[in-house]
Amino acid sequence: MDGDGGKRWRFANPNPAVAAAGERSIQRYLVQLHACLDEHGPRPIIPLSHGDPSSSACFRTTPEAEEAVAAAVRSGEYWATPPPPPASPLAVAEYLSGDLPYELCTDDIFLTSGCTQAIEIVMSVFGQPGANILLPKPGYPKHEAHAVFHRMEVRFYDLVPERGWEVDVESIEALADDNTVAIVITNPNNPCGNVYTYEHLSKIADTASKLGVLVIADEVYGHLVYGSNPFVPMGLFGETAPVLTLGAISKRWIVPGWRFGWIAICDPKGILKETKVVDSLRSFRNLTTDPATFIQGAIPHIMKNTNDEFFSKTVELLKETAEICYGEIMEIKCITCPHKPEGSFFMMVKLDVSQLLDICDDVDFCSKLVKEESVVLLPGRALGMENWLRITFALDPPRLKLGLERVKSFCQRHQSPSS
Amino acid sequence: MENGGAGNGRPPASAAAWNFAASGTLLGLSALSVRGVLGRIKAGMAAEDDGGRPVIPMGHGDPSAFPCFSTTPDAVDAVADALRSGEHNCYPSAYLSSDLPYELSADDVYLTIGCSQAIEIICSVLARPGANILCPRPGYLFYEARAIFNGMEVRYFDLLPESGWEVDLDGVQALADKNTVAMVIVNPGNPCGNVYTYEHLAKVAEIAKKLGIFVITDEVYAHLTFGQNKFVPMGVFGSVVPVLTLGSISKRWVVPGWRLGWIVTNDPNGVFQMTKVVESIKSYLDISCDPATFVQGAIPQLLENTKGEFFEKTIDVLRQTADICWEKLKGISCITCPSKPEGSMFVMAKLDLSCLQGIKDDMDFCCQLAKEELVVILPGCALGYKNWLRITFAIEPSSLEDGIERLKSFCLRHSKPKVLLET
Repeated sequence: MDGDGGKRWRFANPNPAVAAAGERSIQRYLVQLHACLDEHGPRPIIPLSHGDPSSSACFRTTPEAEEAVAAAVRSGEYWATPPPPPASPLAVAEYLSGDLPYELCTDDIFLTSGCTQAIEIVMSVFGQPGANILLPKPGYPKHEAHAVFHRMEVRFYDLVPERGWEVDVESIEALADDNTVAIVITNPNNPCGNVYTYEHLSKIADTASKLGVLVIADEVYGHLVYGSNPFVPMGLFGETAPVLTLGAISKRWIVPGWRFGWIAICDPKGILKETKVVDSLRSFRNLTTDPATFIQGAIPHIMKNTNDEFFSKTVELLKETAEICYGEIMEIKCITCPHKPEGSFFMMVKLDVSQLLDICDDVDFCSKLVKEESVVLLPGRALGMENWLRITFALDPPRLKLGLERVKSFCQRHQSPSS
Repeated sequence: MENGGAGNGRPPASAAAWNFAASGTLLGLSALSVRGVLGRIKAGMAAEDDGGRPVIPMGHGDPSAFPCFSTTPDAVDAVADALRSGEHNCYPSAYLSSDLPYELSADDVYLTIGCSQAIEIICSVLARPGANILCPRPGYLFYEARAIFNGMEVRYFDLLPESGWEVDLDGVQALADKNTVAMVIVNPGNPCGNVYTYEHLAKVAEIAKKLGIFVITDEVYAHLTFGQNKFVPMGVFGSVVPVLTLGSISKRWVVPGWRLGWIVTNDPNGVFQMTKVVESIKSYLDISCDPATFVQGAIPQLLENTKGEFFEKTIDVLRQTADICWEKLKGISCITCPSKPEGSMFVMAKLDLSCLQGIKDDMDFCCQLAKEELVVILPGCALGYKNWLRITFAIEPSSLEDGIERLKSFCLRHSKPKVLLET
């Protein structure tokens, strides 16, 4: 083959939508940062940027869950690919119905390979030329990536840091038009760590109803709350506006690698059925893969038999690490946290580059930090907020403290004399 | 501020008041799925008939429910061990290199959620307005479904029944134009059961090179051959034309539910890199989902420890059932198999409707057969080949014999009186 470039090959320059979508990924930023790392440096790397805490021993799933899956593999009952045994969507329906005033049934549940595939499917189903979708800023880039990939226009509404990262409801009304199909909310929130109140979610539901749009509620961090606001599932307002709830076992059971999630149709009035959205979801199912069958097989056991102790232990640990993180950050002059996290694994903090010498923005900050201190933070630009940072505090307390010490030390070293 | 609830902002009742609606394209696409077609056929069937006969499935792609096709305990151990150890992210590049004249590296292998997701990824990556891909007919219509969903056009080239289902190379050349990006081959073949020779694959490579397109080779049934022709991976011709090989553990290890597959770039000349196909695949994988990590982690053990006897045993059963199928079908006059299957789990058989009465086409045949005889066979219309049948012989030999007997009995019962040919 000679190297006369793309001219000879007709498949050169593949789908531009993929490239556009791929830009919106946290991975991209992390890969760039890791490239700045001295992998052979004397000090161990401290990641405060991840979404997956399972590499810390204290964040390990329950042995019962592991055994359930091992048993399912060994049983030989789940190697095949018939439609999923009804026991698993039923187990998910029962699990979710526990928090709702109405019952979900197996037909309301679509099992997915993690919450990522749930996002993929939902965006595929709504993605039509001309449609637009409302996403939060800051937000989780995969929402945008899949929306963009499926040719939807994305419009961003603000989360307001001074009001506990609440949704700016007026901006939603201003943004929406006849082509808006849905509002996406994330609760408990990634990246901000806030948990919405019943009243606030009710307002969002009313707004959605008024605008004739549905709510896509990404609740992958459901129940991982440790502050004053309890977790309120958006499905509670399913009678006001139809809700598609996305979730997974990934966070609450700390097994993101197991790839088991769901889309739940929380729509007691049957609007999604009437508008054939449910048919669309079913149709699309025939075009995609689903979770490994033996994991599906283990789900009833996992959901019914995980004891509360495991859940409380995880929540306690997150509460402790959130406190540590908030406390340490308060002591760093150039960084401010507008709202103490109450849920999920993250907090968003504002970076004041004017107080720093020779650091021009959040990406620069993170690149230099990683190089000098082997600590990885996620620049806010990856989430739509330049000059902010997302900090993950879900790791073991000693390493967390060590990491934050290094951040402090870095900031002191780069402090501008005038500040 | 809204004060919500009843009165002000009350949700409108009718569908017209909601801004969202279903995608018309999507609703039509699932008709192209084997699962969808089988679903319709089974809808007319009772779970068990009055005579107490069990259902005999011969329409499926997954034989793992049958004890003779169970996977090996070595595979199960590998996954259970990986699960308990917390290991993840390993690459099957060494295994896949063993059949090739060059080494693959871990960078050439992308793990996917089964071969299905591999197809999804490729169609997403290739799709740009105006692009078209060439697919075989008869063929696995999932390619078309995904291609259309991504806005690509699909053009079909013929597989030639009289030549062992080889690719109609002249047809390929006639179909391609400047917007053609790739051609798909399936080897060993689903639904035809063919296994292509080295010489034929070399010709396919030459044509693709001449047209400036690459080859997507679906080798999900790799190594499952039991006839004269040995399995030759298309990757062998990677230096002639860039090849994307799709595969998985689903068939060879009989574990389709484990969802572990791959895309491999067989491209020693680095064309995919240069044309940004690699970058595109990586971008898509960044935003997409991947297989359960402990299944990934089990792969090295699974690949190393699975004993040769397990593979031989599977092939022996397939050889046996292929023989039964081939021989017994000869005794049914309205059904003809143009060539004996040599690989995969399927055989294509032509249905002669002129010998039958009260049956209007292949779909009708299969629905009535399911209802009357509790035998499930896939109609060729699900594969772009109307009035043919795809028969899956990967079931227990005794069940297969039973199934073919029932098929024969159905055909006799529905024969037109003057056209009874005894063999």
